[in-house]
Amino acid sequence: MSILEYNGGCVVAMAGKNCVAIASDKRLGVQLSTIAMDCNRVFRMTDSLYLGLTGLHSDVTTLHNLFNYKLNLYAMREGRVIKPTTFASLVSSTLYEKRFGPYFAEPVIAGLQPDGTPFLCAMDLLGAMAVADDFVVSGTCAESLFGTCETFYRKDMNPDELFETLGQSLMAALDRDCISGWGVDVQIITKEGVTTKSLKARMD
Amino acid sequence: MWRVGAALPQTSIMAVAFDGGVVLGADSRTTTGTYIANRVSDKITPMTESIFCCRSGSAADTQAISDYVRYVLDRRWTRLCAAVKPQSISCLACKNSSFDGGWGCLSCGGRGSLSLPFLRLTPLFLASLLHAYVFFLCRYYLDMHVIEMGTPPLVKTAARLFRELCYSNKSQLMAGIICAGWDSAKGGQVFCIPLGGALVQQPFAIGGSGSTYIYGYCDANYKEGMTKEECQTFVKNALALAMARDGSSGGVIRLVTVDKDGADREFFAGDKLPSFWEKS
Repeated sequence: MSILEYNGGCVVAMAGKNCVAIASDKRLGVQLSTIAMDCNRVFRMTDSLYLGLTGLHSDVTTLHNLFNYKLNLYAMREGRVIKPTTFASLVSSTLYEKRFGPYFAEPVIAGLQPDGTPFLCAMDLLGAMAVADDFVVSGTCAESLFGTCETFYRKDMNPDELFETLGQSLMAALDRDCISGWGVDVQIITKEGVTTKSLKARMD
Repeated sequence: MWRVGAALPQTSIMAVAFDGGVVLGADSRTTTGTYIANRVSDKITPMTESIFCCRSGSAADTQAISDYVRYVLDRRWTRLCAAVKPQSISCLACKNSSFDGGWGCLSCGGRGSLSLPFLRLTPLFLASLLHAYVFFLCRYYLDMHVIEMGTPPLVKTAARLFRELCYSNKSQLMAGIICAGWDSAKGGQVFCIPLGGALVQQPFAIGGSGSTYIYGYCDANYKEGMTKEECQTFVKNALALAMARDGSSGGVIRLVTVDKDGADREFFAGDKLPSFWEKS
């Protein structure tokens, strides 16, 4: 099993009309054995910027702490919150700094630009950015997620439709992956604020 | 001897004997790596009307083995009403006239001359050489003793057939099998044939990668003299717990109850699985 599949887990983010949503599963495992069902892999960076990290969980936690630290320093130096595009570049260069001994984590960034348009981007463990305007996926069932998202996605969804679509895409993909599952948490980010919803999924 | 890099037996299987039959249970997940290739597979295979086997390990290996065992059992059972009455050969060890030419003595399990490991030129050895010759003749020309009894094959026979295949080919196979069923001679029996090809009869048996999570639960909750319904609940709860913790087990629970009237299949979908401690 590859090191990126050691703990399991997946994250997916999707864009709607002036809103984005990011969802992840809740399983933490050690290869095929499940050890926790309440693991968090989507983190709030700012009120309108969320970072989801999949892969080796210790690197997920390390990167979360590292980016919190970098954003705090940024806020102190610049006196403002960071823009999603700038944050994506920050994540990319942080990962590439470790080109020959990388962090085993693959991030997904979902946020709203200052003018309200959605921003989505995913990266591999070395920091190669892929910006998309519909959805981005990462994790052990990424291939399945590509399939389900491609099928269910439509343009300009409102927050409720977006939640429904994203939730169903993720749950369908989870059914086909042994090392992800055990529940789904969805954060829906709009100009007004962030709503968090939990979905009950198959507990196997 | 062990395969390098191959996946471990990926499943949760279980069988429990009660007075009058057995209950077999299995999950339904088949994986290639971490991708779930089939989430509703059937791992409980019928050998005869009242003998079933639960398969774990490499799907290809166990399917091939159970196909071959079923063929042999069918052949033994349907070669009945033979015009020629088969000769009974008496077993050297237990003196019962139940030496089955192909598979050894049905009563004591002795294999006649083949159980002698060392080459010694003693009269006994020479006599058993002769017996070995007869043994091979029997395999081809003798009708099966079981047929003479006029009843379907014994569970022990099916289990021994599995054991023969798994033990003789242990370096090439990866198969963990639980063979369980009902016969008129001894009622409900459960036989476990783990990876190396041992044959062990137990009151209940668990197997597959998910079984490691439920050894404690099974030891704590198994009681002798359970009724059929209690056995079914025991199997369902144990498998639900194994499927919860093991990544390579999941899907639905399939339950087969075998007694003298035949077999009864049940199916419990995801939302009907018993649930235990889950942090909401």
